[in-house]
Amino acid sequence: MSVEGPLNGIRVLDLTHVWAGPLAARILSDLGAELVKIESPLARGPREPTVEPLAGWLGGEQGEEPWNNMATIVKLARNRKSVCLDLKREEGKQLFLKLVEQADVVIENFSARAMPSLGLGYDVMTQHNPGLIYVSMPGYGSSGPYKDWVAFGPTVEPMTGLTQVFGYSPEEPRNTAMALMDPIAGTSATNAVLTALRQREKDGKGKFVELSLHEAGVSFNGPWLIDHQLGLEQQSLGNAHPEMCPHGVYRCRDLRRGDDADWIAIACENDDAWSRLSHLLGCPDMSSWDLERRRNQADSINEHIGNWTSRFHKHEAAETLQEHGIASGPVSTGPELLSEPQAVDRNFFVIYERFDTPIPGNPIRMAGLDSLQWTPCPSLGEHNELVLQDWLGLASEDVEGLLSNGIIFDQPPV
Amino acid sequence: MERVLELGGYSARYCGRLFVQTGYSVSRVKSSPKPGWASKMAMNLFLDVEKQYLDSFRQDLPDSFDVVIVEANSADEAINLGIEEWKNAIVVVITPFGLSGPRRNWKATPSTLLAMGGYTQLMGDEGRTPLTLPGHYVEFQTAQYAYTAATACLFAGEKKLIDVSMYETLLSLSQFTTVMWSCSGMVRGRHGSDFYWVVPSNLFQCADGWVYINIVPTFWDALALFLDRPELTLDENFSDNTLRMSNRDAIHEIVASVLIEWDKQYVRERATSFRIPAGVVQTFDEVLKDEHLRTRDFWQTVEDEDGAAYSSPSLPFRVDKSDRPKLKLRKTVSRD
Repeated sequence: MSVEGPLNGIRVLDLTHVWAGPLAARILSDLGAELVKIESPLARGPREPTVEPLAGWLGGEQGEEPWNNMATIVKLARNRKSVCLDLKREEGKQLFLKLVEQADVVIENFSARAMPSLGLGYDVMTQHNPGLIYVSMPGYGSSGPYKDWVAFGPTVEPMTGLTQVFGYSPEEPRNTAMALMDPIAGTSATNAVLTALRQREKDGKGKFVELSLHEAGVSFNGPWLIDHQLGLEQQSLGNAHPEMCPHGVYRCRDLRRGDDADWIAIACENDDAWSRLSHLLGCPDMSSWDLERRRNQADSINEHIGNWTSRFHKHEAAETLQEHGIASGPVSTGPELLSEPQAVDRNFFVIYERFDTPIPGNPIRMAGLDSLQWTPCPSLGEHNELVLQDWLGLASEDVEGLLSNGIIFDQPPV
Repeated sequence: MERVLELGGYSARYCGRLFVQTGYSVSRVKSSPKPGWASKMAMNLFLDVEKQYLDSFRQDLPDSFDVVIVEANSADEAINLGIEEWKNAIVVVITPFGLSGPRRNWKATPSTLLAMGGYTQLMGDEGRTPLTLPGHYVEFQTAQYAYTAATACLFAGEKKLIDVSMYETLLSLSQFTTVMWSCSGMVRGRHGSDFYWVVPSNLFQCADGWVYINIVPTFWDALALFLDRPELTLDENFSDNTLRMSNRDAIHEIVASVLIEWDKQYVRERATSFRIPAGVVQTFDEVLKDEHLRTRDFWQTVEDEDGAAYSSPSLPFRVDKSDRPKLKLRKTVSRD
């Protein structure tokens, strides 16, 4: 039931939650791995929701099964089967370990102590499946002085050094407030799984893979960290760039949408681009300025650009600049992302979910991958019977017994 | 050992780095570097160690490699390289917008892509100029997808032409911007450092720097104790997240007034003992000296051509506690 792709035949037990882990799992599923989402009975919240979820409900209303309808969960859970079982009960644990025996990969992003405290650490799982690839994604890893620190993407980000260079100025640092470490860790985890699969191909042995959100974030800051050792100090430049000028985000004519998004990013990568821009701005006398001079005159240049962009809507400005071969892009909001001609032309947002909800697609495009095969987020425990029969050979009455005994679930408990 | 050929900018170079770090032989065709956020030396030491440098490209070159990673400035530039003729290798083509579509030849830099990809709208303060992200997030994230795609094809034994765009990479890494619009009709905007939907979740100044606090609802009582303000747990104005959102300014004022008296070290110690999600703003110097990263043997030694050694981040993942070998920059090899 997995989609076609190069990872066909790879079985993954997905215990991930929130963002980084589910993102990794989604990428694996897009490439054809068979993903079984192992969920606790309350993984998607209680039966009666107490708060409005972050991005709302599919279709705009909570519906009869609100736990199955939360946009943030649904968005990351395509091409998945759902098995809902209680890992805190011994029977649930044993059932899970039988599934582990049939899996190639287990991936989770709990805290470092969560799985061992359930009695389900790698040491236990590998006894049941020596060929298993186990991927653990704790915030700060499972060793070292910070291993027990509570970690969320936004709190890990400043620990990586990024905040030293991000903000309006050194006096006004900012956090991206986007949990930026999560998508870095998510794509890193996918790389880790592929690396381990290839290594297992060669030596036939299972693998323990550890990835920390913290280290994933620090790894992206490598060039600055080496610059620091070379004695070159970096600090926040706002929207300026050390090797490009002009480089900024400029206000455009108001589209009157009230979205605070009438801005355009413009960057001149080289002297030629600057020469074209200076003519467009009506300042041909500046066209021969080299990078150093442009940097010295950045305030004046930015004022000229701002005056020019304020005459146009951001989309008009971008079209005009592109016609002159100048890198530029309008600042896009959610609705604009969905209607951007490039995304539309390449069918990037895919409608396979309920209520025709467009969901971001897969940036890996190659023959043999087809989003038409994608399946929507399963309901909680939707595939209990299918997976337990297919993977473990359980009979229907066995599955029914597990359900009635509270080992597996198909909805949150009352 | 499988051989990887790499042509082009920072995304191809980061992808090549991933292949080097995971045990492949990587050859890089030298090219003029694009503007970077760090010095050329730092970029070389971070991205290019252990790669064999080739000083020129020839059309028959891809035939002798298992994987070819190409980064081009546009679809036409990539196609003009002859990518469609390279049938004997897995070919990953990285471009700003992909190989098709009306923007396929648009000029782009990371900052213009971040704007179009929905990131810039979310970064910075409401009512002020949005912020772009410094560094090479766009290129490196695209490289992560490129590595995954190429390795998946190696795993399956399939030779494919793979089209990976930086723009779609960003679109795929949106946390909830588009579904928030589709499902709630809400346009996500900027809130400074404030994550906004849980309170408090913000950057606060402390005595010697800054600290980020991210209090999801289950941590509220612990936060009150952490701040040494246990009475907050009884305050009806703050008794659930909805009320805390309504009284955001008052809460931020309370947290700010306490943290400004504490230094980063004390904040961290206290956060650990009260199990509060808090992270301090570390400078690059502090990151390099970070006790945790050192204990975990995170750093890798890289050497320049003269043997001078530097600490560089290793891969963020570790398979079976694998070693972190010392890596070195090599000299250019002429093919003729």
